[in-house]
Amino acid sequence: MSKRLSAEARRESIIEAAKALFAQQGFHGVSIDEIVNKVGVSPAILYRHFKSKEELYQAVLQEFSCTRESYVETVVADDISFEEVLRGMTRVFVNSIVNHPDLLKMEMHSQLKGDQASREFFLNRWKSFTDYIEYNLSELQTQEKIEPINVQAAALMYQGMIREVLLLKCLHPAERLEDMPIDNLVDELIKLFITTIKFKK
Amino acid sequence: MSFDAELDAKGLNCPLPILRAKKAIAELSSGQVLKIVATDPGSVKDFEAFCKQTGNELMSSSEAGGAFEFMIKKS
Repeated sequence: MSKRLSAEARRESIIEAAKALFAQQGFHGVSIDEIVNKVGVSPAILYRHFKSKEELYQAVLQEFSCTRESYVETVVADDISFEEVLRGMTRVFVNSIVNHPDLLKMEMHSQLKGDQASREFFLNRWKSFTDYIEYNLSELQTQEKIEPINVQAAALMYQGMIREVLLLKCLHPAERLEDMPIDNLVDELIKLFITTIKFKK
Repeated sequence: MSFDAELDAKGLNCPLPILRAKKAIAELSSGQVLKIVATDPGSVKDFEAFCKQTGNELMSSSEAGGAFEFMIKKS
């Protein structure tokens, strides 16, 4: 292993190696030894950058949140409908997982054996959708533009659909959905969702 | 700093604070100021991007006790 790496590049290489291992084996399934072996450095060097495995895990999450989906562009357009914003947000979110499937794997591990901080981190990503859906559907109901529905159930339904698409497309590609690209699949599901909430003509 | 309207976006995740701010600003006249309070740490970057894209002026952006406060002047 090259010793010429700068401290910053070294830190980055540790995060990269740890990310892949955490994604495969979960937080508890990875030892510091495995990480240092993968990077090709001594434990002392790792501890110079990260005090503990917990701190390293947080640094990996932190890096993902730097690439945090920005929905701003999607929502500033004029006269944009509920459906268009929802589709725009979903595209951004789905692409972030397509580009970083490790994040989805870490989320799955965290669901089973995660600590509170990591569970909150992942929950918070979904909250953008549930907040958006609950708030807007409540408003549309008040304006009598849609039939009365339970908005929390609607938000949950949406989260469930999108999560399942990600699992089937990004983790273990399902054969029966092979012919449908992820963007088409998402568009079809959004269509179904919009039909379900029954906009009044 | 004085303001003409206030938006409480505490507890909400992006993009909802942005969307609600957009609606609130639409009801203001040019030069009027909207105060927004949010708790999503991502809102700091989001409101910067929002103002850049909409041409409204981000007069201030501050943090106190886990809440973020923004003052936006309508262009």
